[in-house]
Amino acid sequence: MAINEILNLILRILTVAIAVSAPYLFAAIGEMFSQKSGVLNLGVEGIMMLGAFVAFYFAWAYESILLGIILAVFVGALMGLLMSFVSVTLKAKQGISGIGLYMFGWGVAGTLFRLFIGGVEDIAGLPNLHLGFLSELPILGKLLFSHNILVYLAFLLVPISWYVLYKTSWGLKVRAVGSTPRAADTMGTNVNKIRYQCVILGSMLAALGGAYLSVAQANMFANDLVAGRGFIAVALVYFGRWKPFGILKGAMLFSIANGFQRWYQISGSTFPYEVTVIFPYLLIIIVLALSHEKFAEPTALTVPYDREFKG
Amino acid sequence: MYDGVISLKEELGEKKISEISYSENLYDAVQVGSAMREYAPNYDIVIAHGAQYQNIVDDVARDFPNTTFAYGTAYNAMHNNVYAYDPNAEEGAYLSGIIAAHVTKTGIVGIVGPVEAGDAIKYNTGFIQGVKSVSSNVEIKVGYTGSFGDTVAAREMAETQISEGADVLTGSAQQTVGAIKAAEEAGVYWLSTDVDQSSLAPNTVIASQVLNFKEVVRYMINARADGVYGGEHLSLSFENGFLSYKLNENLDNLIDDELHALINENIEKLKSGEIEIEIN
Repeated sequence: MAINEILNLILRILTVAIAVSAPYLFAAIGEMFSQKSGVLNLGVEGIMMLGAFVAFYFAWAYESILLGIILAVFVGALMGLLMSFVSVTLKAKQGISGIGLYMFGWGVAGTLFRLFIGGVEDIAGLPNLHLGFLSELPILGKLLFSHNILVYLAFLLVPISWYVLYKTSWGLKVRAVGSTPRAADTMGTNVNKIRYQCVILGSMLAALGGAYLSVAQANMFANDLVAGRGFIAVALVYFGRWKPFGILKGAMLFSIANGFQRWYQISGSTFPYEVTVIFPYLLIIIVLALSHEKFAEPTALTVPYDREFKG
Repeated sequence: MYDGVISLKEELGEKKISEISYSENLYDAVQVGSAMREYAPNYDIVIAHGAQYQNIVDDVARDFPNTTFAYGTAYNAMHNNVYAYDPNAEEGAYLSGIIAAHVTKTGIVGIVGPVEAGDAIKYNTGFIQGVKSVSSNVEIKVGYTGSFGDTVAAREMAETQISEGADVLTGSAQQTVGAIKAAEEAGVYWLSTDVDQSSLAPNTVIASQVLNFKEVVRYMINARADGVYGGEHLSLSFENGFLSYKLNENLDNLIDDELHALINENIEKLKSGEIEIEIN
């Protein structure tokens, strides 16, 4: 391969990776808020499924992608409310209630899909923006300035969430209730209220990630559209050590690895495709296993807060 | 399969098919087994649409000898009340390969595969052989998603192939709807299998290999009337009419008379066995 062919290939893989990492960013940053406050929400996949369905249905039936996205985020908030009620107020085991939420969202989305759509339908999808001369720039135009609006929103979310988490008093409370809830409570912070807020925010972002898949990426809905991406988002939170820029790195690495493996498969390699397909997952697991940073995990993660508990 | 049964019911009316029941999204073979046991005493024919149900069909069919069971894609009709149906997916794929080789301008065609197994191997082998029968210079890019239902991954794979120069694509499994959408948006062509998908993307899908499950079910009903409950491996082939090949009239301009004649000639050759497709 000539050098400019290789550069072109890298450019293509990076351009696609930026677009396809958006749903991971939404869902994983949402999950980060939830976990930072001490709640492990394993229902991300189900919330994404329902978000994907709701967004697609309204975009398709009422021809408004904006309406679809707004309603998807609203449904996400309801799912978050349900999750926080079960795991914060009722103090259910978070791992189990999250899996319940996943199955609920997965099943409801599939059922509604069959009842209200029932076949293959598609929409035009969220258009890519044309940012004037920026989109005309060589290389950078295509790489950075020809994506749809949600991609920019997803990448903006990274510095914004960093700022909120580390530079605002609300962010400080979130970190406090996720690591030392008793101390936070003593200082007058309502632990459960913060947790409700974080879980609901996280679920809204997960639903937005799901909506991205159906109205900005696939431009259709199908059974099991999310196909495990919600669980990858949860893994990316661990990968990113509960930090927005860490999650960004993980999402990009995973998406680049996926783009690379697709190219590698069709480039005529005789390498077993099974190994190629799992390569991005393997990469994430290896990095997870090798990262040793201490004190990254919120210490009160998965522990419901009980003011009366004397132990 | 479901559509085939429904359309046969519409044709034959209530007298012949009085009741259809349908379960989907059953997670695993255990659930499928219990669903089959519920259906078996009350229905004449129980169809378990999936190769993974072989053991369950084996089990349940023993207990309900008066019910006809059918499952597939498979070849082992274990009992005389079991049909194993088995599409010769490679036959239509061969024709699609011929069309792809004629239609491509870049000389690159792509296959979006699910998992390298069963039907996908048959389909891909047939397609590749069809392409090679026309020209050995056409490059075939094969990529698998590792899933049957990951619509988004199928789309991403199709987009990757298109960006690497492919201008005619094909593939199998339900996830391909995502890939068809990618082909439609990029303005390249697609060749379908299993059902006629030309209505999904009328300016994209050149042709479809169609599995006529309607005829398969009709065959089973007629056999029951003659007292035959199963015990047969049913291949779906051009020869027995359970398989057909449907061109999209919308894209007739792509198929000139010469190519049309070539397709018909090859259907006859596939029927007579003159063309053999070796599946590894």
